[in-house]
Amino acid sequence: MQYFEVLGLAPRLTLDLKDLEKRFYAKSRELHPDRFARAPQAEQQRALELSSLLNDAYRTLREPVARAEYVLKNSGFDIGEQRSKDVPAELLEEVFELNMALEEADRPQIEAAGVRFEKLRAEIDQELATRFGQWDHAAESGTLAQIRGLLNRRRYIENLLRDVNVHLSN
Amino acid sequence: MAYSDKVVDHYNNPRNVGSMDKADPNVGTGMVGAPECGDVMKLQIKVNPATHIIEDAKFKTFGCGSAIASSSLATEWLKGKAVDEALEIKNTDIVNELALPPVKIHCSVLAEDAIKAAISDYKAKAITETAVTA
Repeated sequence: MQYFEVLGLAPRLTLDLKDLEKRFYAKSRELHPDRFARAPQAEQQRALELSSLLNDAYRTLREPVARAEYVLKNSGFDIGEQRSKDVPAELLEEVFELNMALEEADRPQIEAAGVRFEKLRAEIDQELATRFGQWDHAAESGTLAQIRGLLNRRRYIENLLRDVNVHLSN
Repeated sequence: MAYSDKVVDHYNNPRNVGSMDKADPNVGTGMVGAPECGDVMKLQIKVNPATHIIEDAKFKTFGCGSAIASSSLATEWLKGKAVDEALEIKNTDIVNELALPPVKIHCSVLAEDAIKAAISDYKAKAITETAVTA
């Protein structure tokens, strides 16, 4: 997986952000255009491409959700390639009901829902952290499937939170 | 991105929004979703058991304008069709009718999935019903 490689890392879902930042700065200096001012055109071009890859890699890997999506995408669990049959019916029922409730709620109820959704998201994040550790320990696709499910749920909760904020700002 | 006039029309005046009794043996319910955009779509059909004609269709979609328009259009098309005819509705028909851009094609796929899910729910119920009566 290129993003990890360019930063000199093995694919991992749990990363030390301080270490990641250090690696990013060190590689950025290595690839800085000033150092290639006198280099042949092809080498300059190569450094430029690598530095653009490095920026994408850092932006993606420093966010746990984006990092996990990247690993999933490269392991055959791309979010865009799921059909609705891959999404459990209970999750859809739950999200549908939550959406309905939000539509009919008054302001205090919406505020309460917002608090509840944030709590749900925090619970998902905690479980994600556990699964990340599990995958780092033994890279099994069963774990990735579980992470896929958690990230789907998280995406729905994020949308609900977005709707809560839209309602509250009106 | 600009929505076509037809999408805007369905979005502003959605047809057949609502729900029917899930427990009614003549009602088929399809609930589908796309995590990528966070959409949830519920589509229901009410079938006349004697004629196998879809007499009513309702939907409720939480999602973008294209998802709402796709499901709204689907309910319009479903009404008056025989169940097996309804199975022939393809997502590409919806794409063409609504002039959906490539990034919104998945919304039409979702609507097609919802139609199929509602019909298979109805058929599963019909079989159980027959078994009980027999």
